[in-house]
This record gives sequence, structure tokens and C-alpha cells, in this order.
Amino acid sequence: MKIEGTHEVHASRERVYQALIDPAVLQRCIPGCEKLEKTGDDSYSTTLRTGVGSIKGVFTGNVKLEDMRPPAHYRIVVDGKGQPGFLKGSGDLDLEERNGSTMIKYSGEVQIGGTIAGVGQRMIQGAVKMMASQFFTAIEAEAKTEAHEPPPTHGFFRTALRWFSGWLRRTFRLTSM
Amino acid sequence: MIPSQFDYVAPATLSEAVALLAQHPDEAKILAGGHSLIPAMKLRLAMPQLLIDIGRINDLAYIREEGSQIRIGAMTTHYQIESSDRLREISPLLPETAAQIGDVQVRNKGTIGGSLAHADPAADWPAAIIALDAEIVAVGASGERVIKADDFFVDMLTTSLQPGEILREIRILAASGRFGQAYMKVPQPASGFAVVGVAVSLTRSTAGACESASIGVTGVASKAYRASGVENALVGSALDEQAIAAAASHAADGVSINGDLYASEDYRRHLAQVYTRRAIEAAAARAR
Repeated sequence: MKIEGTHEVHASRERVYQALIDPAVLQRCIPGCEKLEKTGDDSYSTTLRTGVGSIKGVFTGNVKLEDMRPPAHYRIVVDGKGQPGFLKGSGDLDLEERNGSTMIKYSGEVQIGGTIAGVGQRMIQGAVKMMASQFFTAIEAEAKTEAHEPPPTHGFFRTALRWFSGWLRRTFRLTSM
Repeated sequence: MIPSQFDYVAPATLSEAVALLAQHPDEAKILAGGHSLIPAMKLRLAMPQLLIDIGRINDLAYIREEGSQIRIGAMTTHYQIESSDRLREISPLLPETAAQIGDVQVRNKGTIGGSLAHADPAADWPAAIIALDAEIVAVGASGERVIKADDFFVDMLTTSLQPGEILREIRILAASGRFGQAYMKVPQPASGFAVVGVAVSLTRSTAGACESASIGVTGVASKAYRASGVENALVGSALDEQAIAAAASHAADGVSINGDLYASEDYRRHLAQVYTRRAIEAAAARAR
């Protein structure tokens, strides 16, 4: 299936790109990512403990970053498998600067197979959107943290809270929030 | 497949169940009717290490009235609601929704509390609970709290129940005045889940105009939602064919519409509009 979307991050493009390729940041931002370890140049092995509601599973896999053109573009290739199923995907991320904010455009393909694809197919689109949203909300929090500050903590409700305050800010055009 | 290994405990009281849940925050899962949880466990999509069976607790399955408020215990089965003559009089949306859930076996074991706590994006109860402005009573280690239906469904399979809380009761105001209610759904032919499900509860003034309208939609997005655009367009209208069609066109406004192998986004949007129109027409005709 195709996944695409845009997410606005209120931080400079350089900071956002830095956050998006930093394995320590990625490990904190990818929902359920317990481990992201370097295996080669821009290659990582990963363990994800993730899911939606009570449907959860552990996945192990690989992540590779390719075609890196800082601070505007890179491509991410992922594959993983676990009890609930397996996935293979790749995506292009393009960053555009706009009035001090960064627009992240992501466009990719993901193939999902195994039990979740068979039984849970009707929920896959929603789950993917939810995880993408959690990921980019967490990236925004990371990109806004200064180098000397401790890294932000992420979790579903914290992400939901951040998303909500972002929504309030955008809807009512509040500047200090 | 068979489930992964788990422990099982059947507490005798609700406070015991709450205490057990607090002792095992990550590995325990509440077992009600089991017709969402057990299939997931058999596929190993859910692997709780401890099942806390609340089915042996006295007095969790009931349909009572406190004045004009209906109180339904969390362990009340869909069948018990479907077959209640009293509910057919004072809140017909409840038995009408229950009758369309799954199949006979699911309706005999499945519970309204379990269905709501599980919050499947295509489950039937969430739409009805939103349309009825229900209140949900949750009990946890720090006591009880009441959650309004509009605040209950957070996201796919996610409710505002905190990790240590158990849903105990659902409270609904009995219908009054010139009321009309309907639940209409497009069942997925294999699973029976709602591709689209629309629950309507409305009242008409003595002159026939729409006085209030409350509409819950399921199956369309990642969670059941209130179709506020439709409600706002409906209130004050004469509930004629054109007004209903115009209002129903807002059925899928403002939500991220799900697309899957059975129904694309566009098809689901179309179905939502058609079934919202049909459900409102039925409810309006029933409002005598």
C-alpha cells in the first residue's frame, strides 16, 4: 500500500534533518523501538515492540538510510518480521523550509504480510497513519530540543498531548504555547 | 493456532479484579465475553500472560432504571439487550443495535462493556453509545469516575480508560417526547463488522421540525465519531427528503476515512452518506 503525507514541524530544516538521521533520536521516536543498532554505514538492526490497543507484537528487522542529500532528502528502506506478520517498505522523505517551519513530505510503499495482513487488513491503513503521526510528533519534539537540553520523553499520551496542543495552536493561531 | 501460555484467575468481586489489574500492569487483560480477545489470542496477535475473568463477579450483568436513567451492567450480553421488551419501549436504539452485532454465538457471549472497552473501529456499540450521549462508569484503584461518550473513544482500539480501570456500567437517558431512533449498517459479508454503521437518535417538535439530533458513525474512521456536521444541518429542519439528504452529505466530514480491500475511501464515504440518510429517514418516520 502507498503511504504518503506531509507533516509540519516547527523547527529549522537542518535540525529536523539531523533528528531524522540520528539513530539515538530515531530509536526514541519510532513507536515501540527498543533497539536501533548500527550494523554498517547508515544501516541498523532494530527491535520493535509495538501494536495498537491489545494487538501487540515484537518485530525484528533492518533499517537502511540511502540517497542522503542533507538537509533536503533521504530514502529509508525497512524490513521486519515478527509473530503477527512481516513488512517490507521504503519511503522518500523530502524536507522543505517554509516560514521558519519545516514541511516533511513522505511518500512510500509498504507491503505487509502474515496474520495481521490477513485478519487485520481493515485496520492496517489506520494503524499506519497512527504510527506515522506518533513518529512525526516525536520528531518535532526532538527537533525543538536544544543540544544542551535533555531529550524529550515520548509515549502515547504525551504524543497525544503534544498533538492536541499543536492542534490548538494551529486552530486558534496562538503563538506562545 | 492456540494461544501462548497464560495464567487465569476468576475473582469474586470487582475490587479484587481491580487489585489484580494493579498488581500486573503490563501482562494482565480483563476477560469479559471473550469474543474479541480470545480470537486475537488464538492468532497470537494478543499475548496477555494473565487473564482476569470478570464473568464470575455477581451483579455486573443487569438492566435497571433509576428514574429516567437506564443503567446497564458491563457484563450484560448483546442478546440480553436485544431481547429486552422494556428497552424496546424506552430506548429502542439499544436492542436494534444489539440485534445486528456479529452472529448468534457472539451475541450470546459478547458483552456491551467488553465491546466498548475494546473499541474496534468497526464495532456497533460505539456508534449507538455516542448517539445516546451515554455515560460510562469506570472503576480503578483510586475509585470510580464517569466518562462521557464523546470523551471515551480516543483512537483505534484505544479508549480513555486508564490502564488499571475496569468499565463497570453504561448509563443512558430514557428517550422522551416525540423521539425516533435507528441503527443501520452495511455488514462486511464475511466478518459481519460494520463497513459503515450509523446510529441516529432524534426528537421532533409538535409541529414536526427536528428539535434535536444525535448521530454516531462507526466503521468509517479509526474510531466511532459524532457526525456534528449532519446534526447541525438537521436541527431546525422540517426533516423532509431534501433536508435529510443535504444533512447526510456531511456524514464523513472532518475524519480520515479508512480504506481497505473491501471498501475504498471513496466508496466508504459514499456509503456513509447513503446510510446516514436512510437512518435519519427511518428515525424521523418513527418519531410519532
